[in-house]
Amino acid sequence: MYRYVIQRLLQGIIVLFLVSIATFGILQAAPGNPVETMLGEGATQLTQEDYDRLLQKWGLDKPWYEQYFTWLGNFVTGDFGQSMVRAGVPVHEMVLEAAWPTIQLTSLSLAFAILVALPAGMIAAIRRYSIFDSGIMVWASAGIALPNFWVGLMLIILLALYLGWLPPSGGGDWKHYIMPVFVLAINETAVLARLMRGAMLEVLGQDYITTARAKGLREYVVIVRHAVRNALLPIVTVVGLRMAFLLSGTVVVESIFAWPGIGQLFITSVNRSDYQVVQAIVVLFTVLVIVANIVTDLTYAIIDPRIRLN
Amino acid sequence: MDRSELPTPLTVLEGRLSRRTMLRRSLAVGLAVPAVGSLLAACGGDDDDDDDDDSGDDDGDGGDADPTATTQRSVPTAGVAGGGGDATATEADDEPTEADDGGDEPTATEDAGEAEPTATEEPAGGSGDPVQGGVFVALGHHEISSLSPDDWGPSVHYFIVGNIHSRLLKLDNYYTLQPDLAESFEVSEDGLTYTFATRSEVLWHDGESFSANDVTYTFNFYRDPENAAASASNYQGVVDVQSPDDSTVVVTLDTPNAAFLTRAGQAGIVAEHHHGAIGEDAYKADPLGTGPWMLQEWRAAEFTECVAFPDYWEGPPNMDGIRENIVPEASVRAIALQNGEADSAVWPLVTDDHLRFRDDAEFSDFTVQVTSSVAVNHFPLNNEHPVLSDKSVRQAMMFAMDREAIRDDLWQGLAVLATANLSPAIEFYYEADVAQYPYDPDQAATLLDEAGWVMGDDGVREKDGQKLEWTCTIITGDQARRPEAELVQANFADVGMAMTIEEAPVATIQEGQRAGTIDMSLYNWTYGGSSGEPDPSNTLRSDARNNWSLYKNERMDELVDQGLIETDPEVRREIYSEVQKIVAEDVPFLFVKYWDWFNIFSPRTQGLPDGPLVAGNQYQFLHQMWLDDES
Repeated sequence: MYRYVIQRLLQGIIVLFLVSIATFGILQAAPGNPVETMLGEGATQLTQEDYDRLLQKWGLDKPWYEQYFTWLGNFVTGDFGQSMVRAGVPVHEMVLEAAWPTIQLTSLSLAFAILVALPAGMIAAIRRYSIFDSGIMVWASAGIALPNFWVGLMLIILLALYLGWLPPSGGGDWKHYIMPVFVLAINETAVLARLMRGAMLEVLGQDYITTARAKGLREYVVIVRHAVRNALLPIVTVVGLRMAFLLSGTVVVESIFAWPGIGQLFITSVNRSDYQVVQAIVVLFTVLVIVANIVTDLTYAIIDPRIRLN
Repeated sequence: MDRSELPTPLTVLEGRLSRRTMLRRSLAVGLAVPAVGSLLAACGGDDDDDDDDDSGDDDGDGGDADPTATTQRSVPTAGVAGGGGDATATEADDEPTEADDGGDEPTATEDAGEAEPTATEEPAGGSGDPVQGGVFVALGHHEISSLSPDDWGPSVHYFIVGNIHSRLLKLDNYYTLQPDLAESFEVSEDGLTYTFATRSEVLWHDGESFSANDVTYTFNFYRDPENAAASASNYQGVVDVQSPDDSTVVVTLDTPNAAFLTRAGQAGIVAEHHHGAIGEDAYKADPLGTGPWMLQEWRAAEFTECVAFPDYWEGPPNMDGIRENIVPEASVRAIALQNGEADSAVWPLVTDDHLRFRDDAEFSDFTVQVTSSVAVNHFPLNNEHPVLSDKSVRQAMMFAMDREAIRDDLWQGLAVLATANLSPAIEFYYEADVAQYPYDPDQAATLLDEAGWVMGDDGVREKDGQKLEWTCTIITGDQARRPEAELVQANFADVGMAMTIEEAPVATIQEGQRAGTIDMSLYNWTYGGSSGEPDPSNTLRSDARNNWSLYKNERMDELVDQGLIETDPEVRREIYSEVQKIVAEDVPFLFVKYWDWFNIFSPRTQGLPDGPLVAGNQYQFLHQMWLDDES
């Protein structure tokens, strides 16, 4: 057991290393640099000497591999460096500051998605081909198909502009949470509802369900104790993996709703070529995905007696 | 639950906890985390409430008040001001355009310093006595990453940083430099020495007295190569800065530099006792100024809020504070304006929203001010390209372009056609008497015929085996300007020129232009005109770093150099007149138009300048405005 966990962690470190090199390479291969991006047209006023000095100040005049190993050396000692755009501010401070709003957003969205999708998928399966089932599936298809930026804007127009019930953007009291949480949860809810329905249908066709019913168990007991529990197995796996998708979704949702989280910080940093911040966020996301995968595997082993880790 | 009882996967796998118990507890913990998080957030998240109250969230759109004559429109005509700004453009290439808008009328270099430092414009955004109180809420489109004047280029920065700090001279809304911290100044006859008399009654936000030493410190710090400041070029040619006493600053240049006042004169002044103690990096988050507003709270990606400085030397502001909320999505900014959550948008909305606010009766109580940017919307051309190096081809391209259609059909009339490199908004230096290029395909064909470009069977001209063809690389995803390239492509095809369109990131384009590997592009850039200063040395000089068109003209180089060392405004006007005539004649790039720049203000915003010329500069005079919720 411990050996398995250690093996997975070692694999994760290798993945992390490769991802960091790939990210660094992509950032280096991308044209431009933070100095030009930061100054924009203001760069027209810079002399070549001033420009070179700014490159030197941020170490951008060094070869890429030297820059990478400098970053790596600092990283393994827990130093993520300083933002070039928000000059002087340690990257870890910026990331931590942005992390909490994103954690709030994603955890609330995931909770919403689970609470809505699982019962919906379950009922759709139990009442297969009913109007309820059709409605759930149409809604789930729409949830997958509709881009969240569109849904977000439509909701802002309806709820903030026409009805005036909710603020259009920003952070603050509970009202600010409703739209971004809902929009971010739409896709997750749709995916999980469809998955739950499929899993339930498969389980309900199994012999042991027939056996349970033949034993005279009440339908409620058959569904909850035998069907749902087994149908949840694939859901657990997917929920863990969906975390990555959920985090990527925050990039768009946070921009629309001016939510000051990791997604907005990431897109701002990419746009402004703030290498250190982009690198830190990618590494953070990679760690989260690796951990989510390991936890998913362990959880899977816990809830499914047939699986043993070795 | 005792901490030791918390379930972990390992305890289950080792048989110390049943799976059922583990699942139950995990479910409880899983549901509790977001719930607790939301509760904590809801309890602690009242940051916006304060200024929602102040900004009159309930009536910020003036819906419950009599919409008296608050609408003030200063839509420029072709003869007054050009277009500017980018209503829908990508931000990377245009961003500093309006932040730098402004500049110096040449009179400032004479004795403008003797003027009284009073407001030069009549308030036009409303009438009546100023009302005290309220927080002016503006909307920016990206984070405010620094509060130092060294980084105040982007407009979202300038809104806040420019209001915290003062300068020696301050640009008013009509391209005239007005005294700020400097009461007056003198320029030596040789143009090498500037002597500023600074105010003595000015206080820093911490209560310390301002002195000329602070100016000396600021100039010396930011011009020091060791400090690698982004604003170092403001002090180009400065060799010495001295403060012989507490109210005098003497700046010595190595050569006369007519742009000195526009650039160094407008640099934000920092406090020696504060900046010197904490350093530039820390200062970016902890500024201390002498301006009308003091920093209260800074959350880079969320909002920045300032409160009124009661001891401001011009008198305390009318409003209690100003605030800038970061809202990246343009349509959401429009909604926030519309429903009264904000008073203005520092960064423009999309074109359709601009037109709605300008034309719809529903928004008649909003104040819409349309000013001009100085960045020309243009197609840079590689002047070393086998085809584009032919001046006749470039002139033919100008005649072949239906620029009126671009302005009227694609840009809904929100632009002014360009005549050369300077915007008509820079009234003093603008030269209208230059070679003109009306839409005339016949003239374009004639020019090409005369230059030996013969129409081929495939409809593309050729000369000595060289096809009249090239590629125009536009910015990836630039949906605003792509139709412009497509229209021009069709125009060119009509006269036998074949232009292919492809896309690339802006940085790729700029690198390619410097290397000469990109034939042609399309974006907005200034060729002189930033802050009203006509100097184009960084774009039109042969060796300029941003000479995107690889244009080389010895006479142009001479003129650019002369323009910088000449301090007589009338002589400078002659110099830049010739610069514009050469640009119009040589067509180093295809100059298309100047976009209109929109600034929209809520009905309650009063005391706005009347018909400003400088885009976005109104926000630097918020201390003279007020909020009237009854308007």
